[in-house]
Amino acid sequence: MERSATNLVHRSPDSTGSRPHVIYLAIGFPPAAKSSAYRMRETANQFAAAGWDVTVVTIRQESWEREYGLDHTLSAGVDPRITIVELPLERADLETDIRKFSAARSLRPRDWIYQQRQQSLKLFPEPVFGSWRPALEQAVLRLHRERPADLLVATCVPYVNLAATWRLWQEHRVPYVVDFRDGWSVDVINGGEAFTRDSVSGGWEAKLLGDAAAFWCVNEPIAEWYRERYPDVAPRVRVVRNGFDRDSIPAEPHRPDPGAGLTFGYLGALNLPLPLLKATLEGWHAARESEPLLAGARFEVRGHVGAGWAREDNPHMEALRAAAADGVTFGGPVPKAEVAQAYARWDALVLMVTGGRYMTSGKVYEFMAAGLPVVSAHEVEHDAATVLADYPLWAGPPAMDAAGLAHAFRLAAHKAVETSDADRAAARRTADRYARDTQLEPAVREVTELIRSGGATVSRQAAGEGHQ
Amino acid sequence: MTNVLLVAGSRPTRPTVLVDALTKLRDGGATVTLACDFDPSGLEIPADLAETRNIGEDGRSGGLVFRQLVRGAARPVQVWMRASHDPWVRRHARSAEILVALDNNAVHAVWQLAQRNRRADAVFGLTPALKALDDRRARPEPAKRSALPSAPSPAVLAGDAARRASAAARLAGMAATGRRAMTVSPVRSMWRVAAAAPGIPERRRAALALRLQGSMIKAGKPGAAMAMAERVVPKVTDARARAALLGPAVDRDLAAGRVPPTLRDVVKGELARAEALHTGSHPGQAPPVVGRALDLLFHRVLHYDRLSSPLSDDPAGFLAPLHDSAVGRRLAAANGRETPAEAPVGRPPRLLFLTGLNDNFLTPIRERYDAMPDVETRHLDMSPGTPVRSFLNNGRAKLIAHRLMGQSKYGQEAQQLFGPDMEWADTVFVDWCAVPAGLLSLIDPGTTRVVVRLHSFEAFTWWPHLVDFSRVDDMVFVSEHLRDLAVAAVPRLTGPGAPRLHVLTNAMDLRRYPAEKTPDARFTLGLVGIGAIAKDPRWALEVLRELRRADERYNLVLVGKEPSPDASAAAKEYCTAFERDLAELEGLGAVRRLGQRDDIPKVLTEVGVILSTSVRESFHCALVEGAASGAVPVVRDWPFFAGRAHSARTVFPDEWVVGTPAEAAQRILALTATDEAWRAAGQAAADHALATYDWDVVAPTYDPIFKP
Repeated sequence: MERSATNLVHRSPDSTGSRPHVIYLAIGFPPAAKSSAYRMRETANQFAAAGWDVTVVTIRQESWEREYGLDHTLSAGVDPRITIVELPLERADLETDIRKFSAARSLRPRDWIYQQRQQSLKLFPEPVFGSWRPALEQAVLRLHRERPADLLVATCVPYVNLAATWRLWQEHRVPYVVDFRDGWSVDVINGGEAFTRDSVSGGWEAKLLGDAAAFWCVNEPIAEWYRERYPDVAPRVRVVRNGFDRDSIPAEPHRPDPGAGLTFGYLGALNLPLPLLKATLEGWHAARESEPLLAGARFEVRGHVGAGWAREDNPHMEALRAAAADGVTFGGPVPKAEVAQAYARWDALVLMVTGGRYMTSGKVYEFMAAGLPVVSAHEVEHDAATVLADYPLWAGPPAMDAAGLAHAFRLAAHKAVETSDADRAAARRTADRYARDTQLEPAVREVTELIRSGGATVSRQAAGEGHQ
Repeated sequence: MTNVLLVAGSRPTRPTVLVDALTKLRDGGATVTLACDFDPSGLEIPADLAETRNIGEDGRSGGLVFRQLVRGAARPVQVWMRASHDPWVRRHARSAEILVALDNNAVHAVWQLAQRNRRADAVFGLTPALKALDDRRARPEPAKRSALPSAPSPAVLAGDAARRASAAARLAGMAATGRRAMTVSPVRSMWRVAAAAPGIPERRRAALALRLQGSMIKAGKPGAAMAMAERVVPKVTDARARAALLGPAVDRDLAAGRVPPTLRDVVKGELARAEALHTGSHPGQAPPVVGRALDLLFHRVLHYDRLSSPLSDDPAGFLAPLHDSAVGRRLAAANGRETPAEAPVGRPPRLLFLTGLNDNFLTPIRERYDAMPDVETRHLDMSPGTPVRSFLNNGRAKLIAHRLMGQSKYGQEAQQLFGPDMEWADTVFVDWCAVPAGLLSLIDPGTTRVVVRLHSFEAFTWWPHLVDFSRVDDMVFVSEHLRDLAVAAVPRLTGPGAPRLHVLTNAMDLRRYPAEKTPDARFTLGLVGIGAIAKDPRWALEVLRELRRADERYNLVLVGKEPSPDASAAAKEYCTAFERDLAELEGLGAVRRLGQRDDIPKVLTEVGVILSTSVRESFHCALVEGAASGAVPVVRDWPFFAGRAHSARTVFPDEWVVGTPAEAAQRILALTATDEAWRAAGQAAADHALATYDWDVVAPTYDPIFKP
């Protein structure tokens, strides 16, 4: 792996020049400590393994300090043949160094951010990232000039990646794949439509999907949304679930020690609605009061809470700190290399996640693979429930109220101590199909074959005539 | 040991997180001080974690002048002003290695303190503070910064001096133009002249005049404020400033029941201000300003509580400030529908009746189609007291916000409310062009046909201006003259994408009115419905006076709720004159007030002549009911529409209509000269009413709408 902190590309010394070249727009690539970094890492690795020279485009590492920080252990798993280009972009809204503020920003911090976002929207319909459009477009054009790309893969968010994707397609007809993950026009949190077809975003989405060689998303409900919204694109829509990383799972199933008190764990970015977190903590309190197995039990929350100036200083954090008397602790993020150790310490897991039928969350796969009982704190009609439906250690059904969650905590406690080692091992096996490489390898293979066969080019050339 | 100064401009809402961070700072080797722009005792911060300070607690009594300056400042500036005057804060800021703002209101104070202590880190938030502490422990202070003195730069010092000088000047100005100064008559007179003096740059003149206006009003001298504004306004071209200066005078005139001569200026200015807010950084503040403009344009004093209306006199000209404004264009934007309305195939048509005000004029229509075996009906009633009424709460503001932004949560609520019924219905009929029509037009109706009926009063309101008519297929009016007025007021009712326009007579069951008249009925005039000033019952009294000059047997009965004098000053003026007139005639036994009655057919047996005295009507059902009863109809040529292509004369037979009270008296005297003549004329009127306006005759004209 070679990293460039400038806009110049440093090709991998291993590159033969005969391998096809893919530009991968992956803002959030390791070492960014973001949940999406895992998927990006595996995607890049799969392309490298499939015979591609991969150039990853992301933003400079310092920029992530303002958000969720860096996890250099994540970078260890990146294929060394991959070249990484870091653009000098950053999220000004997350700046916390007041010396870098103008007087105007210091006087009205919120208004200043609002104005910035209004300016961004003039460039691209994405308030936080829209202003990155020119830099991204220039970067991909320069990369393509320096070494022509055979394929571009854009993963969103940010959606502004689509502008650069479209520019390269418009000017050089480079085929592209959109890894939309959670989609765009579908509102995965509240359900329904996030924007109309005749909006600016709607226009971008329609034209990008119209010419995409392939379009990936993370679950079937989102795929179905897009198949219905764009029937012409339907054959190119593919579900590529998030899955879990094999190295994040302890080698052996965990065996609890009730005498020492059970430990429940949560790992992930804590961006669920506050009422749901409070209901979970109330349910935990009630279960701990009423269930002998939970006497002295601990609930360890790990992950990222808040960003920018509000990092670990938001109402969620206050709720967690206020629950300390109930054995609730917050231990900050877990480096990727230590994730397996965290699961190895815990006796059961708590899946707290926002959204509904269009949301799966990446953590659900990892939770299943850990072979631990899972308490579900989310909507009943949620894609995580679909995934967990045949998981034997699920303390379902999902609940969002304190009473229902208390019941789930009690059930999980019993499952934790009463499940045999053999049953735990069997439970772990139900997650095998969700290993991240298992999910991504076929998708990358399909795209590789499509590009090699020239199918994408032919179909897009035909489509492209309409744009000439 | 690292000195850390935290500044809080607002009371922290996460005290546990704060204590946790303070603990980490202490454990990390920091000495922490916390400056709060509020009393910090409620935070219960242990003394070993941080020394706390209520900023300026010694300096809060720092003089009237300082307090006045602080009071007029924005919140972040207030925090800084108090902090900069507090020796405790200054001392700790000078020695701090890390300056921390805990909230948005504290950022400016920390920014300012950082200008004066150039060695310190200055960060926003607790986690960045902890990181700054870690960084300082891990690495020595950056060489560049450590070389800087822990003192303000010369530029900052110069800036401070300039600000102080400017503040002194401001204070002097504030004192001279403040409320207290405005209590002195010569000072007011001086400013009235000075503010309009030549040579002052416009922006400064406008700012000065607005300040003077506010101070004069606070000093209880609104008349002086308006007099000053009247002198200044001709020298100000900015629409927003003109509106602000003229606003109080407009409000005064309306409160006094008068038509404000500068209404147009103020409406234009308010709409310009709304547009600036919408396109600027405060779009959320635009809808109330649009609401203010609409309140002015459609104020009841202008259109309801007087005997004329500028909207009726010149619809296009009166509403030009709205239609020509950017906001007006946003409100008029056509969103259209994805698919055209489709008639059902292979099953009975499905009708949805939607009402939001009342179903006074809808019942016969609904009953007709409810009774048809080949039609399916539903009724969604949003009138007061119904479960879904709450959807209309604050409806105007929400509709304005949606029309400005192009989308809103209200639109989603409309989808949830109407979605299932719209999915079911082939045609939805919205009676009254009011808020439910606007709410319905927020959603794409799919293949359902949308029909809206506008009666009369809505034409003088803002409601039609908040309806997206590109989602309405058919508009129904109850008369041609109302259609003409509505089209003139709402230009998008014609042209490409506009709904089809229909005129359909009101649904009235007239068969229950014909009855034998009482012997005295021949000399009894009747006026049914006098609740609105527009009914102008004083005109009936004029007619009665004319008649009684010829024959004192003529008398008048007034039926219905009386107009309320409390509605406005204009209404009060009318009601006072009406009561004065009545006192004279009632004393002679010539007028009887029957009040609200629910036995109108019986009341009409005593009425030989039925009057329509209104200045405006869409149709006037009560007049037609009277005619059906056999009373001789006498219709004033409704002045709002008289002389136009369509008017009372095109609704009724020309001989029913008169121009003046004298003409009315002449017609009555002629037709009631003998019992036979009176009965013959009454019978002819009843025959015409029943043959022309009865529901049996009118009903089939509705079928093309409901059974296309």
